[in-house]
Amino acid sequence: MSPESARSLPVPSWAGQYLRDHALHALVVAFFILYPFAYDLFVGQFGLIAETVLLRPRTMLTVLWLGLFAMSFDFISGYTGYLSFGHATFFGIGAYFVVLGYNGQLPLLPGELPFMTLLVLGGVVAAVAAVLVGLIAFRLSGVYFAMITLGVSEILFVAAENFDFLTPGGSDPSDGVTPGTPSGIETFTPELGVPLVDALQVEIGAFGDTSLLGIDLGPIFNETSAAIVVSYFAIGAFVLVSYLAMQRIIHSPFGRVMIAISENEERAQAIGYNTFWYKMGAFAISAFFGAVAGGLLVGYQGFIDPQNSFFFLVTGFALVAAIIGGLKTLVGPLFGYFFLEWVEEFLAREGSGGGLQPFLEQNLPDSLLDATISGGLTVSKALDSFMTGHGEFYAGIIFVLFVLFVPVGLLGTLRLRFGTQSLSKHVSHRLGALGSETEADDQ
Amino acid sequence: MLRTTALTKRFGGLTAVDSVDFTLDDRLTSLIGPNGAGKTTFFNLLTGALEPSEGSIELERSEEWVDVTDHTTFETAQFGVHRSYQITNIFPTSSVLENVRIAQQAHSDDSWQFWRNVNAFDEHYERAHEILERVGLDRKATEPAENLSHGEKRQLEVGIALAGDPDVLLLDEPNAGVSTEDVDDIRGIIEDVATDHAVLLVEHNMDLVMDVSDRIVVLNQGEIIADGKPETIRGDPEVQDAYLGGYEPGDLERTEGVA
Repeated sequence: MSPESARSLPVPSWAGQYLRDHALHALVVAFFILYPFAYDLFVGQFGLIAETVLLRPRTMLTVLWLGLFAMSFDFISGYTGYLSFGHATFFGIGAYFVVLGYNGQLPLLPGELPFMTLLVLGGVVAAVAAVLVGLIAFRLSGVYFAMITLGVSEILFVAAENFDFLTPGGSDPSDGVTPGTPSGIETFTPELGVPLVDALQVEIGAFGDTSLLGIDLGPIFNETSAAIVVSYFAIGAFVLVSYLAMQRIIHSPFGRVMIAISENEERAQAIGYNTFWYKMGAFAISAFFGAVAGGLLVGYQGFIDPQNSFFFLVTGFALVAAIIGGLKTLVGPLFGYFFLEWVEEFLAREGSGGGLQPFLEQNLPDSLLDATISGGLTVSKALDSFMTGHGEFYAGIIFVLFVLFVPVGLLGTLRLRFGTQSLSKHVSHRLGALGSETEADDQ
Repeated sequence: MLRTTALTKRFGGLTAVDSVDFTLDDRLTSLIGPNGAGKTTFFNLLTGALEPSEGSIELERSEEWVDVTDHTTFETAQFGVHRSYQITNIFPTSSVLENVRIAQQAHSDDSWQFWRNVNAFDEHYERAHEILERVGLDRKATEPAENLSHGEKRQLEVGIALAGDPDVLLLDEPNAGVSTEDVDDIRGIIEDVATDHAVLLVEHNMDLVMDVSDRIVVLNQGEIIADGKPETIRGDPEVQDAYLGGYEPGDLERTEGVA
């Protein structure tokens, strides 16, 4: 991950200033970089307790790509006020484009293109799709926009479940598609990194590279497979770059027009903005990054099915994450996902290791576990039925509580309390009286 | 500056604006009339928010009249006709400065630049500060617009309309709901902006109208019933009948016959 090197190398003065202005960013990036190391350390030291409260690095991977998807959702829904309720459309387009493109099933495209190429092309295709959807949907206001986009994602969902074209091998398309399946196509080896620089590219996936920048991570990590850690860093770097790109757009003149549209579209028109095309632009950009998120998922997983791409609940979870993290905060939805996944893992992890239930079962005395609550229900059975597999149930409760009591979300609340500017100033101040007080860039 | 020819707007059977021929020049012109006379509809026609049923709207551009009848709101705004709103219509959670800056930005070629930070565009900020000074809000520049008092919001309304240096300013009751102490602030702003813009003012406060206007146009049931200097209008029996009834108490008996 590149910021790592930027922090340890001797840097020119402007870079130092830049880092001070973005101290909050640097802190968050440092947290994500250190996370797998910390996980390994804590789990090695404290065993089950650490596993209970910490997200597995494999889950952190999901947080990354779904977080990116939720950020792209916030980009259009939060910053222009148009709820893109069918945003899964773009996630799915990105994911399926990588698979079909790699398998050579798309017209005009040779098969076996590099993963990065497919990722970016998929984003472009999604942006074009967004323009086509927008041509219809942006002629209508709020609710109808949400309904039209939802309708489009449902159409694509049904198509992805039923079109035999997707699976030339003859399997059921609703079971999903895999890159590299037809005979004659090479195995899918998704390389992520800086194009044309071999040293800065790694193969992601559960069976991908285990060394990063020439360092073999295998011996360093005991609790997590090194391939997961390498994928985590590579995908994390990509998500970071995507975030910074979106953040830059938000703080540009164009982004300010988006915000003006969300606050008062009538007035935005009255002062001379053709809001239709600004909305289109914002929608296309948002679709691009939504598709990239889908492509990253396929890159790691080497597989995609309609349920996890075009299905409306994919958007639903992005919405939940965005509300918990804070709509109109861009990075908030990533934290929202982090929080959601943490709740789900903590309260109900199926199988072995981690989560509250295995922890309680190991640590509570047997006499208590076997105690009867009523009828044939023992404490152990109650734990089993109330916890295992019910993470989403609890996430739902938390969602309702957030809507009621924290309507602007986690990050939104922080920013309201400290102010956008002063939050980052506060942090950079704390970080060290590094230099004279200077105008902090918008966080 | 701006003229309409036989401008008409019908809503179903109701004729809100009825064949209005009107020319706006450099004089500070006020448009008055009772509630429902069609003043706001007339504004909405001029700015493109409503489509006329008949007639045309033209703008003078370097000595030539250009037909803008079919222009949408943003095209009219780009063309140099700005308006403020009767009911405060601002960007509530943006700062006061940003409210004006975004309006200023609309008149540059920078709005599609998505790769540069907005802070790099100093000229928009400078212009916005100038405008805020002019409407007396510069010391509130960093506050969220929704935190302003009602009177300040009215000032901001005019400030947003001023951004981008329009040729024509349409002010829709800038004084609406403003307390008597603050009327002088608004009056000062109106007189000030009229020095370098063609201004058409809709206003219900007759003292203010009589005081600031060079010319008054009276609209009743969609038609212009009088047009002239404030003194002339004040004495016009038809106007008093339609609108000013009671403005000069002695005239009541005379108007009964006309009605």
